[in-house]
Amino acid sequence: MQKIISEAAALEEVKKAIAETLTIDKESMGPESSVIKDLGAESLDFLDINYRLEQAFGVRMARHFILEHIEEMFGEGSAIDENGQLTDKAITLLKIRMGESLPEIHPGMDMDEVPTLITVQSLTRGVLDILDSLPEKCPACGNSAWKSENNVRIKCGSCGEYATFTNGDDLVKAWLTKIQEEKKIF
Amino acid sequence: MPTEFSKRRVVVTGRGMITSLGKDTEETFAKACRGASGIDFISSFETRGLPCRIGGEVKNIWLDEMQDTKAQRFYKFSSRGLRLMRKATLEAAEQACLDEIKDRGRIGVALGNHGENPSVEDIMFLHRFYHGDGTWNMNGLLKAGGYSALNFLKRKPDVGTSILSILFDCKGPNLSIVSACSAGAQAIGEAYRIIQEGKSDVMIAGGCESTLNFLGFVGFVLIKAMPEKYTTPQKASRPFDRKRNGFVMSEGAGTLILEDMEHARSRGVPILGELLGYGTSADAYRITDVHPKGLGATLAMRGALADASLIPEDIDYINAHGTSTIQNDATETLAIKEVFGTRARKIPVSSNKSMLGHTIAAAGAIECILTLVGIERSTILPTINYEFPDPKCDLDYVPNEARIKEHRRAISNSFGFGGQNACLCIGGFDG
Repeated sequence: MQKIISEAAALEEVKKAIAETLTIDKESMGPESSVIKDLGAESLDFLDINYRLEQAFGVRMARHFILEHIEEMFGEGSAIDENGQLTDKAITLLKIRMGESLPEIHPGMDMDEVPTLITVQSLTRGVLDILDSLPEKCPACGNSAWKSENNVRIKCGSCGEYATFTNGDDLVKAWLTKIQEEKKIF
Repeated sequence: MPTEFSKRRVVVTGRGMITSLGKDTEETFAKACRGASGIDFISSFETRGLPCRIGGEVKNIWLDEMQDTKAQRFYKFSSRGLRLMRKATLEAAEQACLDEIKDRGRIGVALGNHGENPSVEDIMFLHRFYHGDGTWNMNGLLKAGGYSALNFLKRKPDVGTSILSILFDCKGPNLSIVSACSAGAQAIGEAYRIIQEGKSDVMIAGGCESTLNFLGFVGFVLIKAMPEKYTTPQKASRPFDRKRNGFVMSEGAGTLILEDMEHARSRGVPILGELLGYGTSADAYRITDVHPKGLGATLAMRGALADASLIPEDIDYINAHGTSTIQNDATETLAIKEVFGTRARKIPVSSNKSMLGHTIAAAGAIECILTLVGIERSTILPTINYEFPDPKCDLDYVPNEARIKEHRRAISNSFGFGGQNACLCIGGFDG
């Protein structure tokens, strides 16, 4: 687990990216704010937010919603039923990923409601997950001397190379594989 | 001072198109009647590595490459979209005997188009002389021949309209309409107004588009507007189907010759149909997301009906915008139900884009013409690839097979990115 970038520092940077994209005050959002419902983002804004986060942290954010990955990995209809509603299995997975207690995740939830689940906190978690894929040693020089630059970018203290990470989509897929092995949901 | 302003009636005396399905109206309509698809893998540029690799290309052999001397002079300034438009307009102008009209000052042009995207080569050329800090090696740039003014002109939508007016000698009102997917329909609507109000007798009206090039395509890939899951290219455009996942980009052009009814009668040219009403609106909501309740679409449809002095019961067919995106098809369905109430389920609604893909600025014009031909031949074109019903899309979408059915009045919807909406009300000519 990398602790070079703290959760608080990542949260700050995510807030900054959202604030700049939506031209709103950083103070107007809390970790639980829904980026769409509470902060007024539209789908296009996520491109901008992701781009800013990618530039800031040197990462590649997930381009696809988890539902798309579920459909691709476990077959058509595995996440969304013919009424456009989430399957019970998809609900189970979403709860494991986003929190059992979230009242927004409910049986019969419409697929259109899923994007509204994205919060400042969930975006931060997405970034931290990617940062956690930091290899122990620098692939360029083999030394273990990572350090942070401005609290957001990780670079090698020995050779000066910036760190590279697993991309967001691959991490989601790896997570789904792991959960499937453990819980045999599908 | 006149106490009453009586609007002139506007009829159609010519029509022309070039699409991924055919070189002209006849071929496009005939193939559409059979439920054919014009979509295939893109061949005009490299798409390897992109999540979407399909589109509706117009075959180059269908393009008469401006062989006559007058047209040749303008070839170098002409975007591919404009070259498509010229082809469509030649067909329409011939049908309407446009060159027989003496007073050229009473013929105008209203063209929906967006000009051409810069090519990757253009950008690479400029990059050679850019220092990266806002400064340029101007000497080097000028020595290398400077930047191509011809390409600069191709990018400007106004130049396209201007060239069209030169090629067809139209000295009347000249309008360039830039409103994405509703540009073609808006051009027709605005031209209709100009004739109604007596400012012109005849208008060349329509739209053209060719964004099947790297920069045009990648932009839509980035905003994830195009389908990334399809079994075959021909199956990718599936409006109102549950498994739709984006619009398929196509190129094409459509031209109508609109004319004051009395003017057309005095010339003795055949009248092919009548434009009855035009409504236009904006969602004023978001850049790419449509209003979730389809408020803008509702306003445009109601506007067109009111303009035509018609009520929902008078409409026999709806040529839908039907892009095959998750959002559009569901909200368009909602809007149709809002406007037409209980009658909504009884009106056939179909999307030509299932076969042609989305020709953006040309779509409104092509679809208006296909609607007119359908009225004339009592044929309602199908929505192909309709296999899996979506509970949010619960109207009669004329699935997969054309329907022989007499119908007299229709509306054609065009709802642009950014919530720019236009709706045309079209009818057979009843004298």
